[in-house]
Amino acid sequence: MTATRYDRRMYAVMNDRRAAAVYATVTRRRVLVGAHVVLTVAGVAAWIGTVFGPGYGPAIVVAVLLLPWVLLTGMLNGSTRGLLELRGRMLDERQLVERDQVRALAHRITLWLLVAVVVAAGSYGVLTDEPLRAAVTPVLVGVLAAHWMMPLWVAGLRVKDDLVDDMGDIGEVGAGA
Amino acid sequence: MSEQVHNRLAVVRAERKVSRQALAEAVGVHYQTIGYIERGQYNPGLDLALKVARFFGLPVEALFSLEPFQPLTDEVYGRKQ
Repeated sequence: MTATRYDRRMYAVMNDRRAAAVYATVTRRRVLVGAHVVLTVAGVAAWIGTVFGPGYGPAIVVAVLLLPWVLLTGMLNGSTRGLLELRGRMLDERQLVERDQVRALAHRITLWLLVAVVVAAGSYGVLTDEPLRAAVTPVLVGVLAAHWMMPLWVAGLRVKDDLVDDMGDIGEVGAGA
Repeated sequence: MSEQVHNRLAVVRAERKVSRQALAEAVGVHYQTIGYIERGQYNPGLDLALKVARFFGLPVEALFSLEPFQPLTDEVYGRKQ
């Protein structure tokens, strides 16, 4: 299938190397993912507070967290070269395999997260005899966020460091000779 | 379980003075994929292996093998005891 202008634009954005130093090493990528997890959890908690709470404080927290969250999301997508953002026709065979593995692993982690949530909610309900109705929506929102973000976190943690290309700019010389 | 496919892509690429980027563009993959193949972290599909072999003008078994490769100097000159 032919790549569209959108595909080419997204490919260029996802392969933009200007911020490459930020996610060049395993440690930096782990820090990025960790920070993204923290911001996501804080943002979702604040959003739940905004919707279900009485004051406007959490709304301000959401507004403050949004920009760094977007920036970190962009950096994580850059570190994966758009593995989860580009259409399949813009990925090569290795990237398609990697995307499938990332999705499968993220699905498995989310499954266990759901199991943990169900067990925790059930235990809480049994032990305290409190109705869980009020907690259903916030928990669902939290699980939805985890389900949405998990592939990006997994992909970010699985990226390997780039190799230094010692051929540099002489790549065209003697190609098939 | 997938089997480890050995390759001497890095050696041939260095000998021909071809960058990963140039090779990647020639065979239609992301440049990182060439690095993954060289490090043995990804086994290329048959079509990609054939494209790489065609790019270098070599038989595919000169680049990819199920058995570890001998050093090229050993193959050319033989190992001297």
